[in-house]
Amino acid sequence: MAIDINKVLKTLGISDVNNGVSTGRKWVDTKGAVTISSSPNDSKEIARVKNATLDDYEMVMKKAQEAFKEWRLVPAPERGEIVRQIGLALREYKEDLGALVSYEMGKIYQEGLGEVQEMIDICDFAVGQSRLINGVSLQSERRNHRLFEQYQPLGIVGIVTSFNFPVAVWAWNTALAAIAGDVVVWKPSSKTPLTAIATQKIIDKVLKDNNVPEGVFNLVVAKSSVMGDNFLTDKRIPLLSVTGSTAVGKRVGSIVGKRLGKTILELGGNNAVIITPNADIPIAISSTVFGTVGTAGQRCTSTRRIIIHESIYDQVKNSMVNAYKSVANKIGNPLDENFLVGPLIDEHSVNAFTNAVDKVQEEGGKILFGGNVLEGKGFESGNYVVPCIAEAKNEFEIVQEETFAPIVYLLKYSGDVQNAIDIQNNVPQGLSSCIFTLNVREAELFVSASGSDCGIANINVGTSGAEIGGAFGGEKDTGGGRESGSDSWKVYMRRQTSTINYGTELPLAQGIKFDF
Amino acid sequence: MIDKTITIEDLVEEYAFSVNYLSKKGIRCIACGEPIWGTLEEACIEKKFKPEEIDAVITELNNLANNNN
Repeated sequence: MAIDINKVLKTLGISDVNNGVSTGRKWVDTKGAVTISSSPNDSKEIARVKNATLDDYEMVMKKAQEAFKEWRLVPAPERGEIVRQIGLALREYKEDLGALVSYEMGKIYQEGLGEVQEMIDICDFAVGQSRLINGVSLQSERRNHRLFEQYQPLGIVGIVTSFNFPVAVWAWNTALAAIAGDVVVWKPSSKTPLTAIATQKIIDKVLKDNNVPEGVFNLVVAKSSVMGDNFLTDKRIPLLSVTGSTAVGKRVGSIVGKRLGKTILELGGNNAVIITPNADIPIAISSTVFGTVGTAGQRCTSTRRIIIHESIYDQVKNSMVNAYKSVANKIGNPLDENFLVGPLIDEHSVNAFTNAVDKVQEEGGKILFGGNVLEGKGFESGNYVVPCIAEAKNEFEIVQEETFAPIVYLLKYSGDVQNAIDIQNNVPQGLSSCIFTLNVREAELFVSASGSDCGIANINVGTSGAEIGGAFGGEKDTGGGRESGSDSWKVYMRRQTSTINYGTELPLAQGIKFDF
Repeated sequence: MIDKTITIEDLVEEYAFSVNYLSKKGIRCIACGEPIWGTLEEACIEKKFKPEEIDAVITELNNLANNNN
């Protein structure tokens, strides 16, 4: 069934020109530069957004500071109730928001729906967590003393999101920050401001119905000249969560580190799949193809390298090429459910893709499939490419880099699986990884201390498509941050150790005598 | 008019040709599909450009911008 994007925009409250600043319950008539949001599908203008000015930013920060004083006093389960209602509102608008994600960002509609489902899932997770913000009770060495640790709200959390998951990453951070008693200031990608505005509008009613203080959930669409380094140096923000490239992350880490602020950095990946002779190859191929071409290779966790044992190399290579031949017939309008691969976000991404295709050949690699830009009817935007498979070597400069596009490198290994793991780990990044094997020794080695050095290490599951229940993030140039599930909530809180003396004596720790 | 204080974000948006030009100079303006943060001057300094080299880059970019108009 065709999706009527005009109806979607109307349902989500997107106008021709939209204000880009909200304090949760009020939209601000901003006077900043206007951003035109266009669909990568057809390059048509969707709508315009008025960016924030420095005055708008300052106003929002003051509202956030005031709101935090009130919000931190609301019991966590009550904060969880607000998040529960946000989850319900997202359920109500799932199809419309999923369609807008698809249209503005370019991922296929099914993945747009999946993105909104992730938002819903993290809301559900956070609701439960709101009753589980626990501490630790410890044994004091002193008589009639109690020693415990607890977690307190942190303050303002700055959130910077990227175009490829324009709203899910906001939800990962915001749902946990909100139940933790923090307030958020969200700077969305300038490529996808409309999905951010739509999300903010979806939660508007929940905030109004529950009289949530103005300034708890803030959105600021702004250029980096208005919200760039000043956002990072702003001491009113104890925690900045930034999703983006390693280059941006290094800048953020350095600037925020100078003021000893906290960061959650979710940066680039160079994710590998290892396929051993003991793999269930059909499962490995199906899973890997989703990992390489899903979201047109624009996930942080997209599969960039496939490390294949020499004994099955030709079999895997041929299967991958055959699978790509099938996928190549399913490239097109992301809102049309007949297609599996949509466009890249813009001409710059297309150029990065074609440059990578050229460079791998210059370095001695060989293109096995794809690598070209599509032209003709349906592809007039120039943003559609045929996903590429290339034979390469791990030491190639281009293989060591992350190209944010659907190009995957086939690498051959011989001998023991440890050789494959060493190849996998020999890149600057450390986000996601996986091994396909039915051999328990290989599988266990992969997740052992001498195994994968990535934040995510899967067995018989591809590199992309993480569930929200586990902590998400990676090591090395990926930044070391963790978001989403498990105990990631702790990053959004400050840890406090308390000792209570309920006795009539004053013993000092370590038995120190200090009589006067 | 391009000067050294222009942000990479504005450069990418207003002078899209700069991305390829700077790429040939070893400066990557786009990473993970998004513009890197900071100014043109900062990006050049990170690549250890000397002041006169930065001036030359700015002159060339302005010439290209004029030719594109």
